Amino acid sequence: MSFDRDDLIGSSTRMIVAETGLSRGGRPVGVPEALILRIAEGRDRAAYAQLFSQYAPKLKAFMMGRGLTAIEAEDLAQDALLNVWRKASYFDPSKASATTWIYSIARNLHIDGLRKQKRAQTLPEDLWAPEPEQAPDTHLIGVQDAKTIGVLMQTLSPEQREVVRLSFFEDLSHGDIAQALSIPLGTVKSRLRLALLRLRAAFETRAESKSAKIESKSV
Amino acid sequence: MTAINHHLDEVILLDYHRGRLNAGQSLLVETHLEMCPHCRTSLRLFDAIGASMLEDIVPVDMADDALELALARIERPEEAPEPRVAPELPAYLKGIDLPESVRAAAFKPRYWGAPGVWMAHLDAPKDGRGLTYLMHVKGGMQMPVHDHQGLEMTLVLTGCFSDDRGAYHPGDCVSCDEGDHHSPLIAADDCLCLIAANAPIAPKTLLGKLLQPFARI
Ligand SMILES: [Zn+2]
Repeated sequence: MSFDRDDLIGSSTRMIVAETGLSRGGRPVGVPEALILRIAEGRDRAAYAQLFSQYAPKLKAFMMGRGLTAIEAEDLAQDALLNVWRKASYFDPSKASATTWIYSIARNLHIDGLRKQKRAQTLPEDLWAPEPEQAPDTHLIGVQDAKTIGVLMQTLSPEQREVVRLSFFEDLSHGDIAQALSIPLGTVKSRLRLALLRLRAAFETRAESKSAKIESKSV
Repeated sequence: MTAINHHLDEVILLDYHRGRLNAGQSLLVETHLEMCPHCRTSLRLFDAIGASMLEDIVPVDMADDALELALARIERPEEAPEPRVAPELPAYLKGIDLPESVRAAAFKPRYWGAPGVWMAHLDAPKDGRGLTYLMHVKGGMQMPVHDHQGLEMTLVLTGCFSDDRGAYHPGDCVSCDEGDHHSPLIAADDCLCLIAANAPIAPKTLLGKLLQPFARI
């Protein structure tokens, strides 16, 4: 970032920091989905401050795990939350939980950075745009929140869970993962493949039963 | 569009999601995603998996003035993004019904690899040993049996070809890996494919090897 921090921090923002009391370890309150909607509807700075305090430190931790330095990870967390502010009107809680939406923004920024493509704006406006066609297998899994996935993860074998966890948390190739676990590369890939297919199947079953419920209600 | 029957491998999709593919492989994945709701769903699943891990992660403190900086940044007017100028479609691609991601990519001038076969390489910075190109084959041709030196992904854009494992239509993706060998047969219509190969040997040599035995039927 090439701008001067002191120039930017005006008195009005100092006031918000003081009001919310979130700048120094204050406990964030409020459901994140509601906070994003408040940003979308009212450009609510206090809501943004809460959301920032809640997510930026987690994004920073995540990105440091993916191989970024503390400074790079901090910048990425800043940029991701800035995009949350700018794109809040595209957030639809019926399609993705707040965490999933924020994660997908950060992930997009991260891989764009990795590709070092100097395109100014590569984030699609609406990362969770509705599917143009309604094929039977596209029941939106966006409605599922991250907690649901956490539960589904528990249905995997410990070995499967480990390769999934490493793939998301560590900046390791499948070969590196094989080495770390002292198992053949083919085993890493097949475990990963099985785990992902299993999660997907569970995901779709839940999505279908959910949409079936909605349909029966509307009859 | 007919339904897509041959999807990207979940592990490749996950590598795309993790940003571990080179530019050409990413283009191929993005093009398939553009055409395939099934694989788009997988990508959303991956976002949800990542999010579940984000929920449980032990946070790392941001800098002391991070929130002040964040609040200051949202006060700044948003800079208009630089308009992205799509590269002009080369003459040899005009009139072909192409996915957006292929249209937006830049390809070098085409060259003829064999009678009835032309190729055009992706104009991307050299990235490892990867090699990505469009390959256009005249309808009715057959490629004699050839084997693969590493992972090679082929995405059908127009036309159709088949091998002993099945028939591939637009949007379908076939991956070959080391040791695989097959003999693709091009259907009646001309077939255009996007190919991303991890070639362990020099590009020209590999292509020469691949194309040398081409025969017109
Ligand atoms: Zn697919």
